[in-house]
Amino acid sequence: MNQTTTHKYARSVSIIGVGCTPFMYTVDNPETNGLTEGEMYGYAALKAMEDAGITAKDVDFYFHGCASTLNGMNYLTPNVQIANWFGMKGKASIHHSEACCTGYLAIEQAVNAVASGKYNCVLTGCVEFGDSTPSPADNVETPKHPYKRDKMTMEKFLATTSWLYDRTYARAMMAPIELIYDDAAEDYVRTRGISAQEMDDTLNWMAINNRRNAAKNPLAIERTEFADIAKEKGFDDVMDYMRSPYNPKMGDFLRMEGVERKCDGAAACIVCATEMIPEIAKNLNHKPIEVLGVGCSALEATNPHFEIRATEEAVRQVYAQTGVKPEELDLFYANDFIITSHLIAAEIAGYLPWGEGWKYICEGRTAYDGDKPINTNGGRTSFGHAHAASGLADVYEACLQMRGECGERQVKKLPKTTMLRGYGGAQNIAAVLLRTID
Amino acid sequence: MAIKLEKVVEKFYQGLEEGKFLGRKCPACGAVEFPPVYACNSCGNLETEWVEISGKGVMKSIVLPAALSTKPEYRERMKNFAYGEVEIEEGACFNAVVLGINKKKRKEIYENGKLPVPVHAVTLQRDGYKTVVFELDEE
Ligand SMILES: [Zn+2]
Repeated sequence: MNQTTTHKYARSVSIIGVGCTPFMYTVDNPETNGLTEGEMYGYAALKAMEDAGITAKDVDFYFHGCASTLNGMNYLTPNVQIANWFGMKGKASIHHSEACCTGYLAIEQAVNAVASGKYNCVLTGCVEFGDSTPSPADNVETPKHPYKRDKMTMEKFLATTSWLYDRTYARAMMAPIELIYDDAAEDYVRTRGISAQEMDDTLNWMAINNRRNAAKNPLAIERTEFADIAKEKGFDDVMDYMRSPYNPKMGDFLRMEGVERKCDGAAACIVCATEMIPEIAKNLNHKPIEVLGVGCSALEATNPHFEIRATEEAVRQVYAQTGVKPEELDLFYANDFIITSHLIAAEIAGYLPWGEGWKYICEGRTAYDGDKPINTNGGRTSFGHAHAASGLADVYEACLQMRGECGERQVKKLPKTTMLRGYGGAQNIAAVLLRTID
Repeated sequence: MAIKLEKVVEKFYQGLEEGKFLGRKCPACGAVEFPPVYACNSCGNLETEWVEISGKGVMKSIVLPAALSTKPEYRERMKNFAYGEVEIEEGACFNAVVLGINKKKRKEIYENGKLPVPVHAVTLQRDGYKTVVFELDEE
């Protein structure tokens, strides 16, 4: 497979502000039903500016990410349609769309724009309505209501996910589009020599750990721990519940609770040239978080073990680019809309030892209160998955953890170095390395 | 040779109608691209040329279809099948369907340590076109 040699940034870039909406089903709640794209993105963007202690005048440019603009917004140029909402009228912007990896590449894009020297301070935000669509929901061509939205049916969602796959070969060959659910689990079982039962337990423990984290996160969509749900359903042992028909097999290995909760949400970051922080963000009242590097790869779904191979390349790149070693990582995030990602990405990054990661997970060591925390916000299965926005929501959480501002779910040792492994869009991969500036 | 604006996809599917499996071979390094594309992903050469592949290969991983990973059409047309990595003898690797595998068959393959298991390409009719899938070789 092709490899890329990447180089150090022309100048250091840091995250100085973060913002995030709750991840939610907007249509289901009268208080949020009717929220629009500009309101969601605008909220996240303004919270990020407030967090950085700046105003919209200090921001030179913005990036806008959304995975499914036609389905979710009925827009072709969504960055322009929301441009008046957060004080940046007339400033340049661009839209990008890499499906579930959008929010991680949102950092890559913004950092490149500042590292190049063209801009000093950039907003990067993503918004997604994964659970709803402008009303009426019949098809993308009908005229839409100004703010009313309808639920997105699972049928419509699954039908349009085929848009993520190559029409010439991948869809025709079938396997490329169906292997996303179980390929990584099959590979792990075969190459590490664990049993299918051990893999089942590991998948269940990842769901349990994600939920324990989300239970302590007010922005998360699912906040009831599986231990409590199990009790309510008459199970004394949470694993008996996780193995029961309440958590049915949806794939060869994958169970229902190992699949994303698709929902609505927005998140944003302000990135700034580190050398310019004293001038631009005079009121900054927390430590900047430097983006040390971002490794990237894209591997189309016809290619065997696409997630694994592309993650290996992205991780290799970012370590080579930055000189950081796996043992320096204090905290790890993996976009785990298929929960297996959480295990295999952490092993490929060297955050968990090869072939042993499943044991760490089954011992609860990867929950927020363990020694190897992963997805402290609850991950895609419990924090929720507002597709494009998920990556920046992970960056939001990572920054708050690194600043020691996570309250009840604050990890034990204040993290200094964090990796985020983005994944999505059949398939883009990003490995983002963050480090606190003292 | 010259770089040509050429209908590779159409020719590939026309080949399937005639029972031929067409790939593209790199004149510089010999690597075969299957399914066929313009350039060589192994050495970066800008051109490749048509080659008929034998259809012989091996399956290197097995994933069985389940609720999320199947469609009514698949069951109708293929009955027992699995997904996995296929490597053809010309060297290309890709994700493909392999016919003739169910839970019991997979268990047999695993227990006899037969992975990678020999397969050969066949065509399968879908709505409006034929596609390529593989079949376990007869034992
Ligand atoms: Zn070549």
